[in-house]
Amino acid sequence: MAMTIDVERLGGNPPVTVVALTGELDASNYEQVIDIARSAYADGSRGLVLDLEQLTFMASSGLFALHSAVRIMRGETPPDPEEGWGALHQMAQDEAQAASVRLAAAQDPIAHVLERTGMLRLFALDATRAEAVSALQAG
Amino acid sequence: MSSARESRTIQIPASVDHLAKVRAFVRDSVADFGGSKRVADDLVQAVDEATCNVMLHGYKSQPGDIDIAAELRGNRIEIRILDRAPTFDPTSAPLRDAGAPPAPTRPGGMGLGIELLRTLTDEVHHSARPDGGNELTLVRSIAGPTQEE
Repeated sequence: MAMTIDVERLGGNPPVTVVALTGELDASNYEQVIDIARSAYADGSRGLVLDLEQLTFMASSGLFALHSAVRIMRGETPPDPEEGWGALHQMAQDEAQAASVRLAAAQDPIAHVLERTGMLRLFALDATRAEAVSALQAG
Repeated sequence: MSSARESRTIQIPASVDHLAKVRAFVRDSVADFGGSKRVADDLVQAVDEATCNVMLHGYKSQPGDIDIAAELRGNRIEIRILDRAPTFDPTSAPLRDAGAPPAPTRPGGMGLGIELLRTLTDEVHHSARPDGGNELTLVRSIAGPTQEE
């Protein structure tokens, strides 16, 4: 099953982009998520919500894309897929600043993978996209 | 009981565009064997990671074939992944220490994918094929929770 992506740019402070993923996120399409995060940041968004309600599968390449989105929303150089981020030594900073990326409505298999790989250190899981947007703009 | 219920096979080209077929194959096989959704989820994830690793790390995105066989043996589901890529044993990679931060790497890298394929299964066995290539076997009990529960 292919993945479809719907992007919605919201106003507010800070500007937030909501990205709804439908289908399966794997090694064949993870770069699309990185590209969208890059575009969102370039267009001025400083908050990113990934709506996972309709996402049924996420491979480790998807975890890489999520981590890349955190780094991009911090204004860092986009990742080189051939090298990846030097993740370990940067992780403390990531944990402190991941508040600009939130995940909404993850199904059980996705939440399970996020949990058991330790990726929940990087992201808050919100029940709905509305809650995620509110959390980003609450400050 | 027909043999079709106990053993299934698929062959795919070594391209990430075919990973969705692999996942569907595993999901259908587990359902055919009578496994739960949770068992299917775990095996789909593990086999996707293992197969992607063969494509990107083993074949290095060059053309090649991958054969996958799913078999029910007693209460165990065994999934064998066979390739003709240079020898590589993912069971030899060090696992992240419990509590250590995750380190996502590019697809096919030595990162969370290998960790997942090992921790979502009960056993992983690797052998070098005598005539070249790798045989990786993932084993998962069809009953009971995964090891972390």
